Amino acid sequence: MPSPGLGMTAAFMGFVLIVLLSTMAILTWFERKVLAKMQDRYGPTRTGPAGLLQPLADGIKLLAKEDVVPANADRYMFLFAPLITFATAFIAFAVIPFGLETVTVPIINQPLRFFIADVNIGLLFVLAVSSLGVYGIVLGGYASGNRYSLLGGLRAAAQVISYEVILGLSLIGPFLLVGSLRLTEITRWQQANVWLVVVQLPAFIIFLIAGIAETNRAPFDLPEAESELVGGFHTEYSGFRFSLFFLGEYVAMLVISAVASVVFLGGPAGPLLPGPIWLALKVAFFIFLYFWLRATLPRFRYDQLMGLAWKLLLPAVLLHIVVTALARLAAVEGWLRF
Amino acid sequence: MDWATIIFYLLAAVAVLTAAGVVFARNPVHSAFALVISFLNVAGIYVLLGAEFLAAVQVIVYTGAILVLFLFVIMLVRPEDLRELNTAPRVQTALAWLLGLALFAELGLVIATGVLTGARGPYPPEEVAAAGGNTQLIGRILYSEFLLPFEVASLVLLVAVVAAVILGLPDRFLTGERARGLSLSLGHPTGADRVLEAERRGVPAVDAPDLGEPGTIDTGRAPVGAGRGR
Repeated sequence: MPSPGLGMTAAFMGFVLIVLLSTMAILTWFERKVLAKMQDRYGPTRTGPAGLLQPLADGIKLLAKEDVVPANADRYMFLFAPLITFATAFIAFAVIPFGLETVTVPIINQPLRFFIADVNIGLLFVLAVSSLGVYGIVLGGYASGNRYSLLGGLRAAAQVISYEVILGLSLIGPFLLVGSLRLTEITRWQQANVWLVVVQLPAFIIFLIAGIAETNRAPFDLPEAESELVGGFHTEYSGFRFSLFFLGEYVAMLVISAVASVVFLGGPAGPLLPGPIWLALKVAFFIFLYFWLRATLPRFRYDQLMGLAWKLLLPAVLLHIVVTALARLAAVEGWLRF
Repeated sequence: MDWATIIFYLLAAVAVLTAAGVVFARNPVHSAFALVISFLNVAGIYVLLGAEFLAAVQVIVYTGAILVLFLFVIMLVRPEDLRELNTAPRVQTALAWLLGLALFAELGLVIATGVLTGARGPYPPEEVAAAGGNTQLIGRILYSEFLLPFEVASLVLLVAVVAAVILGLPDRFLTGERARGLSLSLGHPTGADRVLEAERRGVPAVDAPDLGEPGTIDTGRAPVGAGRGR
């Protein structure tokens, strides 16, 4: 199997970036539509057919707005913070496999793989880069020079630290079964055996809960809780810097959805349709789940949030690791015949 | 110069510059953020050396967790309250310069004499590749050859966890004088001042009278919800 050159990988990288940027825009429309339907409203209808041009109108509006910097803000930190959240959100897609086959692109006759990099540390890379986005929120909250923003930033720090632990631990069960951190290996294992959601259901549920908390989405959106903190960490942000926070959150959601699809739902596996389409459908399901939860559940209280992580999810995920390890040992030692 | 060398110098230069920024920044939050960037660049150097696992762990543990907690604590404290941070005693400054220069000289000497390039380690790249990558190899070694140090380290961490739990116990689990002293947390904005003031006057903190207006209390600071919903 020929390996694609640097040029093809770079081209694919650009393609992924374009797809992500446009998906992000459509997601803002999709969220408003889903929420509206669930709340018995119409949602955006005026701009374009079914309001589809609404993201474009929003984008123009946000870019045209004044970029306000509060007088007692930590100026450069304030200007820089949204860029951290926005930029780091994309990096995780470097290791997501969109398909396992190598295809030959017609005309230029070059091989193309459906992933950017297949690194040995795979999922650890995703966990590492997704843990960086919180700096934008924490530093933005600090640099705003506003107490509500500071409280939002502090909440984000505590929340993300707590749920990152859970997120990482919930993936240990799948690691134990597959024996590799490579996302391509995890996908292949699932094609050879069974989707991990079947044998790792508790890990899947815990991963989803922790993933929603990690991306600061409802019902865990305490860093921006508008009923208590005005707007939380982004209270002082306006114009396109606000939109960078906003869009970074959407990309983080896409990352969690993509990881959940690849690790637990077989990634690009599926009948009839090509792999990347299946992956997109699975990601769309998780994104819909995010919106569904937002429309359904009220926000957690801060102590409930911390209690859930440390008193319920942590013991549960540790127990799950022990059970999985025992099952794996039983299989290796031949105590049980599957 | 090949690409790897150029990237190394880039990463190293940023790591050193930001490390200097950690020391020279006046604002502790800026210091912490400079440390974040420094650590990220060090992780990049690990990747260049073929130690991807170490790089990932460096980012997850140091930049992703420990430094976020650093920022958390720094943001709770206003820098003007930390007078010692800005005005260290002169002896300390002199000592710091002395030790720093000594370390710098040592490092310079080691690099200049080329002692740094030691013998080849027991795990050359070929062996790492044969074991299926350094994640697998580190796992295997850590749980066989280095099992005892590994377990000892986890025991030490467990002690720290127990200590943290004791410090965080709610008042109702504590009796007597500890009741107020131990539960002092940043969640009580005036708690620390009151107890310190009481200690200075020789009054047990539990029965400390309302001291009126101790000058350092910042009543405008919102109590930080550190997981105590009442």
